[in-house]
Amino acid sequence: MSETILLIADFLFASVRMAAPLTFAGIGESVSETSGILNIGVEGMMLAGAFSCFLVSSLTSSLLLGILAGMLAGLLFGLLHAFITITARQNQTISGLAINFLVLGLTSFFFLVLYGQAATLPHVRTLAAIPIPLLSRIPVIGTAFFSHDILTYMLYIAVIVSTVFLRKTEYGVRLTAIGENPRAADTTGINVVRSRYIASMFNGLMCGLAGTYMMVVLFGFYIENITAGRGYIALAAVTLGRRNPAAIFFVSLLIGLTEGLQFTLQSLGVPVPSQVFSMMPYVVAVLVLLFSIGRSYDPSALGIPYDRNERH
Amino acid sequence: MKTWMHKLVHFVWPVVAVFAVTVLLLLLIGVDLAQAFRGFFYGLFGNTFQIGEIFVKSTPLLLAGLGCSIGFHCGFINLGAEGQLYIGALASSVVAIFLGDLPPAILIPLMFAAGFIAGGIWAFIPGIMKAKYGLSEVIMSIMFNYIAIQLIALSIRTWIKDPDYPFPMSSLFAENACLPLLIPHTRLHIGFFMALVFAALVYLFLWKTARGFQIRACGCNPRASFCVGVNVNRNIILSSLLSGGFAGIAGFVEVAGVQHRLIDGLSSNYGYLAIMVALLGNNHPAGVVVTAVLLGALDIGGLAMQRQAGVPTSLTTVILGIIIVVFLLRNHYSTRMKEA
Repeated sequence: MSETILLIADFLFASVRMAAPLTFAGIGESVSETSGILNIGVEGMMLAGAFSCFLVSSLTSSLLLGILAGMLAGLLFGLLHAFITITARQNQTISGLAINFLVLGLTSFFFLVLYGQAATLPHVRTLAAIPIPLLSRIPVIGTAFFSHDILTYMLYIAVIVSTVFLRKTEYGVRLTAIGENPRAADTTGINVVRSRYIASMFNGLMCGLAGTYMMVVLFGFYIENITAGRGYIALAAVTLGRRNPAAIFFVSLLIGLTEGLQFTLQSLGVPVPSQVFSMMPYVVAVLVLLFSIGRSYDPSALGIPYDRNERH
Repeated sequence: MKTWMHKLVHFVWPVVAVFAVTVLLLLLIGVDLAQAFRGFFYGLFGNTFQIGEIFVKSTPLLLAGLGCSIGFHCGFINLGAEGQLYIGALASSVVAIFLGDLPPAILIPLMFAAGFIAGGIWAFIPGIMKAKYGLSEVIMSIMFNYIAIQLIALSIRTWIKDPDYPFPMSSLFAENACLPLLIPHTRLHIGFFMALVFAALVYLFLWKTARGFQIRACGCNPRASFCVGVNVNRNIILSSLLSGGFAGIAGFVEVAGVQHRLIDGLSSNYGYLAIMVALLGNNHPAGVVVTAVLLGALDIGGLAMQRQAGVPTSLTTVILGIIIVVFLLRNHYSTRMKEA
């Protein structure tokens, strides 16, 4: 009996870790989409974050510098996306795709040039677990949620802060106004361009952090295209979570459960082909999207460039 | 005079920008530039085989690119060409493996139809979700890419695995199921010719038929189309079917023309490149043909550069990303020039 409980706790623990990068990226994306900027480039920005974190922390052997580098790389690509879509007013989907291509190419290129011949790949030190006193003693829940590392705890805080920010603060409401009707927002004196730039750069930063999390918590090593589509799953989570960070966290947990299930079943030696498991997060994401039928309200100006001088 | 200068500048700066980034990256890794470029051009025009390779690479890009452009014309942003290509290849392979005894005149059309239908169905699901329920096809079609790739990986390890080899791949097709070669001693098969015919057909369909006009109208302004009595949903679903169908045919030509068996990594990002082909080709069949050949050449040149000068092929992906970014920025600045 107690063994089953331990297993469930481990299973939940793994799910939280799988859900964390999706949620980090999801928080950024929900802020950006609320302001009307769709970012398909989540995948690329996560990859940029993961690679920069790997590179810097293995060169300087400083985890903190690695984490900062990961966030900075994401932010820079967020800035590029902002420039193309806000200043140059180009198609947001295409811009995001271009960023995915660019980052995939750049990271693979430099990874092969730097480590293509290397016999052993450098490892990134992973963050130590810091169980929270008292809370981590709660059976099951304690192991699952409160025996993680500092970044995961920051995620909990980020979920709460961003939910409050989007729904309860003036800035959040302004952002919603921009996403719904940028012209109206503009006439009330809100700086549409600046707000969208900030939202987009914040999105990049959070995507970079998501990639960093994969480095310093999940894997500790880097391989080409390590994000492997997680950015796109994060986009699906944002759609179902209706740009509400708390809801996105729960959707990500649900998707993370399927990945957690993979490790649990594999460690139990259940003979299921690994491809079935690799498919699961995407199948769940599709099912989850189907559940959002009729309940998903996109910001009215999502994906539409705003031109202040345009006449109607 | 001034507009002439502007035009020249607008043509030249993107080329210079892309070229500059390429040279910069090459210098950064300390490669002999002359050797790298010699490798690139040798790869392109070195011999008949290499020239054939360019068109072998462009064939799936051209077909899937046509598919994407049909979707884009109707406002169906199909980012799932990769998955549709894989599913098309799977369906064609299953026909080739289980009905391999049929004569080529029946078998190859059957494989073609299987690829088209399977690819079409894979795009039809996101299409109907968009048309009927307003779900974003962008994310949905990407999810289907990953599902398709894993389905193929699973299939070639289980029910259609070649029993004689330890590697995960399907059995080799019978001679009957292979597309004939266009030029001997190359890998260039009649698929490329087929793709050109389809490009012409797509042009006729989109610009010379009422249905094609409706599809384009729905993409331009769905509300106006609805108001004059066009069934917008039906057009979206039709364009999604055709869009995926063409990607499925791309999968068919890859297995029947080049690989002659189903393998992992059958498509080296053809589905994603196809989106770029459609975009850079301005969604016009003629433009799609030209860009597909150019991107095919870029890919072949990149491969040769790797062989001759040890430059990772990921450079091609970087260049492609830069091309799109520059293309987007150029759009903006050339319209601004016109207004000024």
